Amino acid sequence: MSLLDFSSNVFIAAFFLYSGAFMLYTIAIMGRKWSGRKPEEHTARWGKVAFLASSLGLLCHILYFFTRWSGSGHIPVSNMYEFMTFLSMMVMVAFTVIFAIYRKIILGLFAVPISIIIMAYAAVFPQEVQPLIPSLKSIYLNIHVTLAALGESFFAVGFAAGLMYLLRTVNFDSVAKSDKKQQRLVEFTLFSIIVIIAFLGSVFAFRGAGYETVFIRQNVTIDSPGQEDSTIEKVSYKMPPIVAPYHSEIESFQSFLGLKEPIFEAPSWMNGVNAGRKFNTVIWSLISGLILYGFIRMIARKPLGKALHPLMDGIDADDLDEITYRAIAIGFPIFTLGALIFAMIWAQVAWGRFWGWDPKEVWALVTWLFYSAYLHLRLARGWQGRKSAWLAVLGFLVVMFTLVGVNLVIAGLHSYAGTD
Amino acid sequence: MSQRTPFITNTKCECGHQNPVGTVLCEACGKPLDDNGNTNENLEMRYDGRARRSQRVNPGLIDRVWNFFSSVKIAIYLIVLTLVGSMLGTIFPQESTFLNIDASTHYKDEYGVAGDIYYKLGLSHTYESWWFVTLLVMIGASLVICSLDRVLPLYKALSKQKIRKHRQFLTRQKIVLITEVEEDPNLWVQRAVQPLKKKGYRVVTENGALLAEKHRFSRWGPYVIHIGLIIFLLAVLVRGLPGLNMDQHLAFPQGDTVPIPDTSYYLKNEKFTVEFYTEAEMPEEFRGTKVLPKLYETKAVLYECTAECGDPSKEPKLREVASHDIQVNSPLNYKGLKAYQFDYDLTPVLRSVQPNLVNSVTGEAFGKFKLVMKNPQRVYQAGPYELTLKEKYMDFGMNEEGQPVSKSPYPNAPAFLFLIHGPGLPTEGQQYFYFPRQVDQVKFQQQAINDKLGGSERFLEFEVTAMSDVDFSESTAYLNIRVDKVMPFIWIGAAIIMLGLVLGFYWQHRRIWLIVENGELTLGAHTNKNWFGFRREIVSFLGKMDMTVDEKSLDNGGGLS
Repeated sequence: MSLLDFSSNVFIAAFFLYSGAFMLYTIAIMGRKWSGRKPEEHTARWGKVAFLASSLGLLCHILYFFTRWSGSGHIPVSNMYEFMTFLSMMVMVAFTVIFAIYRKIILGLFAVPISIIIMAYAAVFPQEVQPLIPSLKSIYLNIHVTLAALGESFFAVGFAAGLMYLLRTVNFDSVAKSDKKQQRLVEFTLFSIIVIIAFLGSVFAFRGAGYETVFIRQNVTIDSPGQEDSTIEKVSYKMPPIVAPYHSEIESFQSFLGLKEPIFEAPSWMNGVNAGRKFNTVIWSLISGLILYGFIRMIARKPLGKALHPLMDGIDADDLDEITYRAIAIGFPIFTLGALIFAMIWAQVAWGRFWGWDPKEVWALVTWLFYSAYLHLRLARGWQGRKSAWLAVLGFLVVMFTLVGVNLVIAGLHSYAGTD
Repeated sequence: MSQRTPFITNTKCECGHQNPVGTVLCEACGKPLDDNGNTNENLEMRYDGRARRSQRVNPGLIDRVWNFFSSVKIAIYLIVLTLVGSMLGTIFPQESTFLNIDASTHYKDEYGVAGDIYYKLGLSHTYESWWFVTLLVMIGASLVICSLDRVLPLYKALSKQKIRKHRQFLTRQKIVLITEVEEDPNLWVQRAVQPLKKKGYRVVTENGALLAEKHRFSRWGPYVIHIGLIIFLLAVLVRGLPGLNMDQHLAFPQGDTVPIPDTSYYLKNEKFTVEFYTEAEMPEEFRGTKVLPKLYETKAVLYECTAECGDPSKEPKLREVASHDIQVNSPLNYKGLKAYQFDYDLTPVLRSVQPNLVNSVTGEAFGKFKLVMKNPQRVYQAGPYELTLKEKYMDFGMNEEGQPVSKSPYPNAPAFLFLIHGPGLPTEGQQYFYFPRQVDQVKFQQQAINDKLGGSERFLEFEVTAMSDVDFSESTAYLNIRVDKVMPFIWIGAAIIMLGLVLGFYWQHRRIWLIVENGELTLGAHTNKNWFGFRREIVSFLGKMDMTVDEKSLDNGGGLS
């Protein structure tokens, strides 16, 4: 077995260990009311096992990282697959650090699934080792990417704790207008997470079924009078096309549940054939997200926020508030160093300018400004508790947009990764 | 909601200290001045309750500006506005990302109506716009004034702290413990010194009262960050001044020594290399479909001109000062002048030819002469003929009036007009148009032009017979030449920011006040963050004093920060 094969095997082991740990955390928290023991005793006992499992998972994850590094000859953070696997590892590192400080078992219930989801997202991208292009051959690849990911991972843990704070403190039984609003916002946040899970589910389901439909589009551009240039673009859909690319023709169509042709065409402002494909993926994610959400609602028979609320019983809200803040406070300097300062140093060495207002740079700055505003609001304006928790939740959305959204919809200079 | 300060306020504390207007906690004994002691709310501990300059009564104009910028609320608005502005700038690509576009039509053509609106709002150059730069300047002002307004009172408050504070100051902290103590007050306090010192506190006592403090430096963290940011922002603003920053993209054909404009330097591209990954080095899915570059490298030598620099008629005297194999992540760097690998072109570029002057009728050859594309000689001799160069076009073309022009300074389609004197020619000489490149001779119809210039009985032609008579440079490297004199300040600013972040976020300023009197211990404690860890530390300290206390019971309510 080659080093790279071993590497992907331990990666899979890490994935299953995390999933197992997630179930154990669930038992530790949900089982405390049913087990014969005292709730604290039950949680402590099962929590220990759960933490052991997630730590073992992290160990496998780290093993994956270093064996892939040594097998490929460069640090595995150079494309989207590698970056996402690394980010999920850092989320677990951040969780472990915060857990070591605060010893709250329930944090595992919310932080571990973030890592699992990011790992699953990594698997959407091609997994082969690619050689480095000249612009990535630098020691700053190691420093900039790893530190930025670590900082962002602390923000992820802040997000988890912030969401927990909301689930703990929002009054889910009240019908007062302000409480209703909070309930709806929490529900929307949970729904968004379900859409992401549904997106992953549909990608892997259609991939497993080997689905493919191909569109072609002819682009005619007139360069100079009398000179026509035509190019043919081809795009392969891996999900049944509800929406076709703008002005395209079907090359091959695999029908799905009676769907024999696209239902409609993407609007003209969605330039390029890939825009249509991405739009189609968004539609599928929303549809399957709604189905999944409806299904869970049917089982729970109440809004998800309300269903999750009892899990938080006995957890001190102030502690959650402090964990949120602490995670962000630990992450902020790391993020500044990795995502801004070392980014500037590298940009200076590679491109000759430390700052160029490239979309990725701008969004790293936006993230930084967002968390700066959070810290000022909290420290100088006394925004704590509810408001601070919402900012922590929103902040992670900004982080994810910087990492994924920018590549997906904006691109620019910093698009080494490529996205799907 | 604004609170109007009464015309005359009594700001004298019961301990006899006269406090300035705006003081929340007596500067000397710490007694809250906000009420008559009926409330149990947590104290406002920022800057230890000292008055700030921005809290003056009857402000003048400068005070008003000061007050505006000293507000954290304003600072947050500025941060949020900058955030939103930055976001807007990423909706469509900025103008600066395109080369040679007409922005007024480009955005409309490319992105439709939305693009047109975007352009008309000026968002296509967000980051250079007056409002964005103003925002950055205002953030700078806010950083300076906010910091000064707060750091001075905080420094004063922390540098002269009374050990024995007013009891209310203790009982209204966020961490409070009131419990009975049988022991003699002085003895108990003396006994408490050692365990606190073990935990890293600096401890001072004063008959029955104690003050323990550690990591005060962490309080300066935010101000250090702000100083770093100010240096950074100033460096960015100063960078725009002329002479501090140079940025040019130049072409360096392989083997050529090219002067760098506005400097006394010349750079020679000795060899440019581009390598691609072989099929075997690539993952399977890329094979046959994708080409991945492996290396771009320009072997460069930098020369400094020592004499005859500005004179085009003389050969400049050069002295080698540096050499480097420039790669993407490894620029040449000589005294702040940097050369970055930017782009390349593998099209061969003609450097010189050695045509033979022949009689096309008899086939007689009169001799070769060397014609260099760049800075050619004026006069050549080939056998009995004298050739004078009249015109030179590096990139031959016709303008709208049908006049021959050079479309660019690069030798894409060089053309030369000669005047030839010698036997068999008219006394005023004969003109001859020469395109060294075969393709151009056909494309621009050299034959026809010369027939027109010299008449039908002309007999002279230029002929290149051997490949060795043609000299090409194989490729051209494009380098980005930069000078950025403020960079050291940018890095100093960044380093100071990081220092401040580490000081401020990874340490916390912790203070514990103790008063033992009348058989009762009153403990109050304050930190600027991480209350959780602080409570744990106090519980551990109390444990050493044989007291068992639950962490949560120390919490005097109120928010945590």
